[in-house]
Amino acid sequence: MTEQALPAGVREPFRLPLPHSQRGRVLVAIRLAAVLALIAVAATTHGFFTAVSLFSLLNTTSFIGCVAVGMTFITLSGNIMSFALGVTLSTSGMVFMAVLPLGLIPALLITFAFGAAITGIQGVVIGYFRANPIIVSMAALALINGGATLITQGQGIYPEGEAAAALKGHILGVPMPLAAFILTLVAAQIVLSFTRFGRQLYMVGSNWRAALAAGLDPPRIVLGAYIAAGLCTALAGILMAARYSSGDLELGLGYDYSAISAVLVGGTAISGGEGSAIRSLIGAFIIAVCEVLLLLHGFSTQIQYLAIGVIVLFVIMLQTLADTD
Amino acid sequence: MRSLLTNRSVRPYVLLLVITLVLLIIDRGRGQFFTVSTAFSVLQQFATIGPIALGLGLSMIIREIDLSVGGMLSLSGCIAVLTGARHPELGVALAVLFGLVWGLLQGAIMVWLRLGSIGVTLGGLLTLGGLAYVVTGNLSISYPRMDVALAVNYPLLHIFSLRSLIALAAFLVAAFFMARTRVGRDVYATGSDNRAAMVAGVRTSAIVAGVFACSGMLAALGGALLSYSLAAAGGVALTDALVPAIAAAIIGGVSLTGGKGTPIGIVGGVLVLCLLSAGLNAVGTPPAVQDVVTGGVLFLVAIADAVDLDRRLFAIRRYWADLLLRRDEPVTPRQPSPAE
Repeated sequence: MTEQALPAGVREPFRLPLPHSQRGRVLVAIRLAAVLALIAVAATTHGFFTAVSLFSLLNTTSFIGCVAVGMTFITLSGNIMSFALGVTLSTSGMVFMAVLPLGLIPALLITFAFGAAITGIQGVVIGYFRANPIIVSMAALALINGGATLITQGQGIYPEGEAAAALKGHILGVPMPLAAFILTLVAAQIVLSFTRFGRQLYMVGSNWRAALAAGLDPPRIVLGAYIAAGLCTALAGILMAARYSSGDLELGLGYDYSAISAVLVGGTAISGGEGSAIRSLIGAFIIAVCEVLLLLHGFSTQIQYLAIGVIVLFVIMLQTLADTD
Repeated sequence: MRSLLTNRSVRPYVLLLVITLVLLIIDRGRGQFFTVSTAFSVLQQFATIGPIALGLGLSMIIREIDLSVGGMLSLSGCIAVLTGARHPELGVALAVLFGLVWGLLQGAIMVWLRLGSIGVTLGGLLTLGGLAYVVTGNLSISYPRMDVALAVNYPLLHIFSLRSLIALAAFLVAAFFMARTRVGRDVYATGSDNRAAMVAGVRTSAIVAGVFACSGMLAALGGALLSYSLAAAGGVALTDALVPAIAAAIIGGVSLTGGKGTPIGIVGGVLVLCLLSAGLNAVGTPPAVQDVVTGGVLFLVAIADAVDLDRRLFAIRRYWADLLLRRDEPVTPRQPSPAE
């Protein structure tokens, strides 16, 4: 966004009534206060700080976390969000279950290739043609949903044998999904912080034209972001399919919304160019903690949906209120 | 042909004609497609998608996008069903009032903070979806007035129903306002160039808030009538209505770059989608095919409207020209020869 002088008589948008230099600090303070408040509520809630509940919390976070890390790449690249990640997760799980008889390693490779191809095609259209990312992802959602239903006749896929059992076990006492998620998170954060691709992604996300002028190849970088998102989502699909020993279209229902909620609550800017994979983890974790706390305090699941919506709305507004531009 | 497809006001109707012909060919004179009942079901679907597509389309004309309509559709249905058992009109009125207030609220937040519509309405979508779950207690609630459900869907003049007539009326009012009043001009000005419109004295803040209020009202009206006609309401999957509505608006000639598109065009876009779905149903294809076709059309239109399409096509053409001419170096602009 280029800041130009406003025409006469037009009011400035409302921001926190503070000098620019302090707005960022206030935002950090508000975030810290919110997290501390959350911890305080958690500490006073009977049954929250138990090993079992914390462990299940981590486990549930790992699936959404994988998709959220994938979504982070898309959001950072300046393309807001994808509505098709949930269905990518489902179909990846189905593909994995379908090709599992070929052996675990080939099945993993095929599934990752499938996930990367699905989002990669969208990345080509969005990056090279600069089509609208929201529209493209919605078209992809309808296409993949319809295509998968036609191919499977709406049936789930249940593999024979127990080749996926290895994905249900533990590594060093850590459940497989959690281990895979932590690995993905670390890898994603390293890519974002320490590789050329990662730094270029931030630049493309914050200003496409500046990136172009600086000699980068923005379409290629956007494509890379989409492929990364596809890989992360395919991983989530594989893990979920392995956990439920089946693949069907219901698997990833609503995961796109959960993922973008986690990304935004974590503080990644919806306009792109600012954020990190770690922040998305924090976002996913905060949402999961809120859900568990609401549940332990006797609120129903429907209140949880509402709470997430309100939190997302609030975070987006808060981020803008403290905008330093 | 290209000019026919790129002229925004004509495009949906050309598509409509093509689809009708294709479906007639598929039907091969068995008379399953070209019937009064197909026309009726097209208009019934029109009544479901139309109001949402109109609201979304209006928000896209001012270069914003209202993602919250999906949540509004289900929540307004719940409000209407819960409050309209004794007086159905009251239920619709309350739902529309809620849509108006919510739309104004979203618009006000955007104007006040100068915040992008995608963030605000995404939060709105999640919040409305959550509210729909809360007011229904996570269940599907039924509407006790079967007489209202029948009356809303009762065929009038063979192909219309009360529901589709209300939707068509909304489009007529919107078309009149957009084409014939100053407000309509201001809306286009805001969407084409916000800053220039502001300098020219258009109250763009009021236009943004007003358009989102309209969008909320239209989605609420559609949701309330839909729930009456189904005699049920509940928190349904959020994108179910969003995808066809956006597809309809874009097929109808609305551009995401703002300032383009008309309500009449959106009517065409909605009719294209409904005809596809009803026609495919009539000739006996499974519903998943409709998903694929809707997605495919949306995908193609997204590419056709893409910012860098011409540049890439040019690059591809040049690349092919190079290959065909077997040149080693890229094609250079032709030098004027002395003879010319």
